[in-house]
Amino acid sequence: MRRELINRHAPFVLSLTAGMALWEVVGRYSSPAFMVPLSATLKKLWQLIIGGTLITQFLDSAALFLTGFVLALLIGMPLGLLLARVRGLRVGLEPYIMILYATPMVALIPFILSMMGFGFAPKVLVVFLFAVFPVLYNTIEGARSIKPELIEVARSFRSSEWSLWREVMVPYTLPYTMTGVRLAIGRGLVGMVAAEFFLSSTGLGQMIMTASQNFDTAGVFAAILVIALIGIAMMRLGRRIETHFARWRN
Amino acid sequence: MTDASLTVAATRPAKAPAAKFLSGAFVPRLIAGVTILALWEGVVRAFAPAYVAKPSGIVMAIPKVIVDPAFLNASFVTLSAVAQGLAIALVFGTMIGLLIGRSVVADRTLRHYVNGFYAVPMVVVLPLFSLWFGYSGATRLATIVFSSLFSIIVNVADGARAVPREYVEVSRSFRAGRISTLLEVVLPASMPYFLAGLRLAAGRALIGAVVAEFFTAIGGLGYFILYNSRTFHHNEAFVGVLLLAGFGVGFDMLVNGSIRRFMPWYRRDEAAS
Repeated sequence: MRRELINRHAPFVLSLTAGMALWEVVGRYSSPAFMVPLSATLKKLWQLIIGGTLITQFLDSAALFLTGFVLALLIGMPLGLLLARVRGLRVGLEPYIMILYATPMVALIPFILSMMGFGFAPKVLVVFLFAVFPVLYNTIEGARSIKPELIEVARSFRSSEWSLWREVMVPYTLPYTMTGVRLAIGRGLVGMVAAEFFLSSTGLGQMIMTASQNFDTAGVFAAILVIALIGIAMMRLGRRIETHFARWRN
Repeated sequence: MTDASLTVAATRPAKAPAAKFLSGAFVPRLIAGVTILALWEGVVRAFAPAYVAKPSGIVMAIPKVIVDPAFLNASFVTLSAVAQGLAIALVFGTMIGLLIGRSVVADRTLRHYVNGFYAVPMVVVLPLFSLWFGYSGATRLATIVFSSLFSIIVNVADGARAVPREYVEVSRSFRAGRISTLLEVVLPASMPYFLAGLRLAAGRALIGAVVAEFFTAIGGLGYFILYNSRTFHHNEAFVGVLLLAGFGVGFDMLVNGSIRRFMPWYRRDEAAS
């Protein structure tokens, strides 16, 4: 048992150590303006934690992400179910949703900036636009794959529209929606950082921007490291949510 | 998402009512499209300042913009950078992906790095890349490669892992070498995954190119949009967005079409499982 554990985890620990050592060595032998070693990055990170900037900026970013993401869920999911139920609406709107899904939403940021300015709302809109289409699209896909027999049976038992939604549509669609949620988490994070870069600078994005404007390379690395770790953690969370609900499928 | 969409698309044409359904799709689509455009036009006219993009303004701007050498040049620069970056990401992504998919050691050492970089919101590296590569096309190219590389690696590795063991055993028993097994058996067998990765990568590459241009203000389609919207030429800027959207949709259709045309078995397998 123990041996198996070692066998499984040793390569990971080894490769992680090797990667860290590589970063340290390369950092030490290159100009500090371009690259700083891991130790300097961690030291800087520690200062940011102690000074409290990291926490406040993190909370700022988290508020932005969560607002946009929750809005995307609250609008994307019911709308997806509605479109799946009302066939005419779905047939009509589907191609446009596909087009919007394939459009790089970053391209809309300059328009949002000049129309809505520098507040909190335009940034939420950016996160929302990044996150809503995966949720919407996957919910439609899920709802469309509901077997017609299920709805027919529910109908023949004189189920009301409300209980049809609650007991057939939502449970059946949820696993698909969760695939959308996983994708939306990744996209929403990109939207969050893009909004913080290109709209009013706040949160973790601002931390990177100020550091790079001050030629504080260690600060840039520290902030990127934090965002990278958040990205990895969120991706894992998304996977976990998705597999949790995937057990419902079939 | 891709799996589900493939399954649905595969099963739909087989059903009897499909023909009726398809012939009836045009009218609702037209109605929806006209309604959306009318709503957009109406809302902008009623509430928004004159410079905000509206359908009529965009239509008027199109003939002017598409002959504008600045626009043509910008589109060419950006799209060729995307093509270049994708090509680089394809070559290296396929190699690394095959390695990870077929070798346990490579898998265990590299997997966490690949997944880790894949999860990083790609915009975040811009300040670093502009520091390393300067405010030039090299930053854009590096951003495009970084944005697209990992989705190709992940998908090719998944594909290489999913190759049925019998294929590899047969090629072994015919005394095929490791390399030729990899290139002639594993790679073709994981083609559908490869194409799925390519489709994802293309979308991400496009985003990467646009954000790099926003960030470094180097000339290109992203900068064209940024510049025109800053100078309140929203209609003109929106033509650039339309081109980007067209490129995104067009690439999606190209990949889907080639899967349907050259790999019909893939869809059937997906539907069966």
